[in-house]
Amino acid sequence: MAASPSLNQYKIPGMRGPRNQGSVEKPKESKRTLRRLAAYFGNEWLMLLALLATVFVVVVCSVYAPKQQSVAIDCISEGEFQKLPEILLIMLLIYGIHSICTLLQSRFSAVLSQKIIKKMREDLFSHIVNLPVSYLDSHSHGDIMSRMTNDVENISNTVSQSLSSLFSGVLTIIGTVGMMLYLCPKLALLSCATVLLTLTATKFLSLAMRSFYRKRQVLLGELNGTVEEMVSGYKTVTAYNRQQAVVEEFEKTSDELTKVGIVAEVLSSSMGPIMNLINNVGFVIIAAFGGYFAVNGIISIGIISAFIVYAKQFGRPIDELAQIYGQIQTAIAGAERVFAIMDEPCEDKSGSLAMEDATGIITFKNVDFSYVEGRQVLHDFNLEVQAGQKVALVGATGSGKTTVVNLLMRFYDVDSGEIQIDGKNIKDIACMELRKNTAIVLQDTVLFADTVRNNLKYSRTEATDEEMEEAAKMSHCHNMIKRLKKGYNTVLSGEGYNLSAGQRQLLSIARAFLAKPKILILDEATSSVDTRTEKKIQDAMVNLMKNRTSLIIAHRLSTIRDADCIVVMDQGRIVEKGNHEELLQKKGRYYELYMTQFSGNAT
Amino acid sequence: MWKYLKKYWMFIILAPLFMLGEVSMDLLQPKMMSKIVDEGVLGLSNNNVGNLDIVITTGLQMVGVLVIGGLCGVLSGVFATMCSQKFGNDIRKDAFGKIMKLPFEQMDDFSTGSLITRVTNDITQLQNLVAQCIRGFVRTILLFIGGIICMLKLDLDFGVVIACALPLILVCVIYFIAKANPKFSILQAKLDRLNNVMQENVSGSRVVKAYTKEEYEQKRFETANGELVNTQLDVLLLFSYMTPIMNIILNVSVVAVIWVGGIEVKNAAVTPGDVMAAVTYISQILNAVMRMTMIFQTVSRGVASGKRVEEILNCKPVIADGEFAGKTKVKGKIEFKDVSFSYPGMAEETILEHFSLTIQPGETLAIMGETGCGKSTLVNLIPRFFDVTKGQVLVDDVDVKQYKLQALRDKIAIALQKSEIFHMTIGENIAWGNPEADEKMLEHAATTAQAMEFIHTKPEGMHTEVSQSGTSLSGGQKQRVAISRAILKGAEILIFDDATSALDLKTEAKLYEALKKDYPYMTKIIVAQRIASVKDADRIVVMENGSIAACGSHEELLENSSIYQDIYDSQMKKGGEDDGC
Repeated sequence: MAASPSLNQYKIPGMRGPRNQGSVEKPKESKRTLRRLAAYFGNEWLMLLALLATVFVVVVCSVYAPKQQSVAIDCISEGEFQKLPEILLIMLLIYGIHSICTLLQSRFSAVLSQKIIKKMREDLFSHIVNLPVSYLDSHSHGDIMSRMTNDVENISNTVSQSLSSLFSGVLTIIGTVGMMLYLCPKLALLSCATVLLTLTATKFLSLAMRSFYRKRQVLLGELNGTVEEMVSGYKTVTAYNRQQAVVEEFEKTSDELTKVGIVAEVLSSSMGPIMNLINNVGFVIIAAFGGYFAVNGIISIGIISAFIVYAKQFGRPIDELAQIYGQIQTAIAGAERVFAIMDEPCEDKSGSLAMEDATGIITFKNVDFSYVEGRQVLHDFNLEVQAGQKVALVGATGSGKTTVVNLLMRFYDVDSGEIQIDGKNIKDIACMELRKNTAIVLQDTVLFADTVRNNLKYSRTEATDEEMEEAAKMSHCHNMIKRLKKGYNTVLSGEGYNLSAGQRQLLSIARAFLAKPKILILDEATSSVDTRTEKKIQDAMVNLMKNRTSLIIAHRLSTIRDADCIVVMDQGRIVEKGNHEELLQKKGRYYELYMTQFSGNAT
Repeated sequence: MWKYLKKYWMFIILAPLFMLGEVSMDLLQPKMMSKIVDEGVLGLSNNNVGNLDIVITTGLQMVGVLVIGGLCGVLSGVFATMCSQKFGNDIRKDAFGKIMKLPFEQMDDFSTGSLITRVTNDITQLQNLVAQCIRGFVRTILLFIGGIICMLKLDLDFGVVIACALPLILVCVIYFIAKANPKFSILQAKLDRLNNVMQENVSGSRVVKAYTKEEYEQKRFETANGELVNTQLDVLLLFSYMTPIMNIILNVSVVAVIWVGGIEVKNAAVTPGDVMAAVTYISQILNAVMRMTMIFQTVSRGVASGKRVEEILNCKPVIADGEFAGKTKVKGKIEFKDVSFSYPGMAEETILEHFSLTIQPGETLAIMGETGCGKSTLVNLIPRFFDVTKGQVLVDDVDVKQYKLQALRDKIAIALQKSEIFHMTIGENIAWGNPEADEKMLEHAATTAQAMEFIHTKPEGMHTEVSQSGTSLSGGQKQRVAISRAILKGAEILIFDDATSALDLKTEAKLYEALKKDYPYMTKIIVAQRIASVKDADRIVVMENGSIAACGSHEELLENSSIYQDIYDSQMKKGGEDDGC
């Protein structure tokens, strides 16, 4: 496979080199992001409505209560103490309703936020599992993970903590303004100055804030990427004493994150005091003019006191909005990153044909393929594999063997030409169907942090324990598993330091055997297994693969000697084809390869 | 944790100090307000004739006070942020540094997903905790206490109200914290699980697709996600009680204050303006309490996260540094003295048993044997990736445990079974072996490793970028990059732990030839499966069940060792006969 310049486009934030943060920085999209976020709320409109209703009641209560307060104080100042108990009772009642609705409001917003977040994570994940292999091949795994956890969590926090504040903030402002207008229009208009000031300040700060929050999330993703990469490659890091260097790289990113974080946080925390100031200036204005009006006898003391409470109340939602503003910005930055992944095109799985009766004839017809434009990996590749045949691909490293497998599995799609199974173009076969009938064992073994049993049954969940053990015996790992403390119930660890590479290969071979596929692909599947064990596995395979097609890639010629057909590849082309004897007699490329191995041993 | 905070004591003092400024300005304000109302508007001391001058002068004073307050607030925010971010940064760096020091067995105790969560998410929670504590918490407490004091100053009888309300609030807070605390630890653990599922799916996507397990994985994810969401919901629902309960307590207090105020005004002990101020103070206290509920959430979560980060920070590496700096006369000698080994936590399964072997400087030793017989384990003991259970491993006549780890590992270059490729250029990947190496040395190492031939075909040669899992390189190419890296290190001991398995035989033969020619002084240990890889070695050790079954040259073993013959036959015999050689 060739390294692709297109990777530069997706420069993974890892260790070094220019970092591309452009893929998510599209400020103009923030409106679109908001709309898409809103769509998630649309699905929960009932809950949203309930939440709005309770918020409404809460706001009404908190607007109405001060009115009663001012009435009560008027009573006191006018000496009408007998009216007091009645007013206070009403107040108690309002407060009671207020509390109950606050409780409901918190619960609704909790449920709503978690429902939305659950849905969003599921959407994101189901998109990620359906992304083409090429996307995951070229993007930092840690960064993708960061989007799933850190970014989604920011959205979650915002929704659960800020949504009702936002509602009640807006409602309170509307309600308060309404009340103020009702009580004294002149004073109310004065308060609008406060609103204008607030809006201006918000707009100014938000512009600065958003870009920093965006940068912060990108850096956090980078950091995640570094940790993921270095933890997975930890053995190499240790072997080369590179811990210090790796830590220094990490610290660089971490320092940068801190710098950006400080700016973002300072901006968002200035929001509070600034709003506080604006709000209180508004208060003074009201007091001054209120006093003026009172002196001139335009309004009563009670109205002033109510107004003053309203002015305060006016300040609270604005203050709150200021507090949550930073959070909302983070959430938008996070949502942008989440949607950026969701916008990546999924794997093409358009085929619909079934493969049930397939016998396993594989045909490559004039296949051309390149990972990167201009650097062709396969040239006019033609190959026909008969049903039940065992075909081996050999050739120098980088000659395109694994690419053939990638294409057959539709991990990548051909540029031109076609691949057929039993005469059907694999693009027309349902992708699931194709892969279900094709089992593959890869160069790099992938095992999950789960029990041995679940790892083996991964290929066929409904398999019985007997079948599983049978497969394990065939791949010669049954005894090894039995020696483990808990046998098949032993939980493997992700990195699995206590299983050798060979043992891991045996397990993934067992997994492929258990799948009972129509087509079996072994891509350097036994490279770390000793040759005697390998021989035994091959003998066992003969039975299993009767009437099944198998495709084997190996460097050890002993692995492939008894293949029905050996295909020798060089730079993306087939140079020789035939069985072992035929090819040896030909004295061509295969003979050469064979002789290096053989002559080496004959000394 | 404290030691990380200590460094920023200046900020920790300054932030609350400025906060104090902001809050005291906030508290001055109702006083001024009541002056505006009582003197300016009502004109209580002036026979109920208002005085606009008082309103305006006091109003201007109030604005001045507010500007100062606002400035204090911003500055306090700056210091608090500096402190929390820098504190978090220090911990994050230390935590990662610690992770990079852990031996494999301890690394294995944490999953990759969990380590990532701890270094990022948990530390963010800790940062929030610190920021909230020195800013939000201090502010809230100051507003709270200040509000109470001011109220008491207005009239002591209001104190009765507070005396009733406070204990109730306190009980509430304690109850909720006690209930919430364990939930946050669970929450972070669930986040780990989610991260793990993600990590496995992202890095194992080919297997997921090959077995068409997309739906299965989605279900698995949904389970992990569901558990996380439910835990989160649990926490949120718990806290949903907190605000209304506190609210009702304080609102009842407002009613009580007005009630008491009414009585006091009747007795002419206080003015209506005082009652108004008292109500304002109570709403201030109420505000403070509401904020506190939010802060308590952050604090509880931060504490849970702090514990998880501390687990990393307090992790004592079981493989500790020795004293010896590594200068030895002998260079490249390795000795296994009666070594027994079983993996930590799996004591019943011995991998190596009473294994003894001496490898001389400059010798090429090959190790063969069945899968799982302990070959890799054996070579892993040399750079102390694991410690022996019994016996001793000596490098250059010194026990490996006496070496400084860095010094020991500087002596050894190892190319691993799984050739790790990092996301950077091919050249940088190779230069990992020796960061000081120049272009020439780099190319020389790559030439010896037979990597130059394919690097040349890449569009940008050495500067070609490779992806994280190295998927843009074939298996054999990755191995050659890893071998170049090992050769470049120029260590006295070179270990290939099955590092040539994906190389075709021709390339491999050329590699060994070049290695022999260019680096004759290195002690070479080659773990391999193919006879062709080992036949030219000075000695070949055939291992079986953790001990030596046979040892000798290729010819000797062919004659004496039935296992070796068997291995040879499995690879050679049939072909040899067919070819008539």
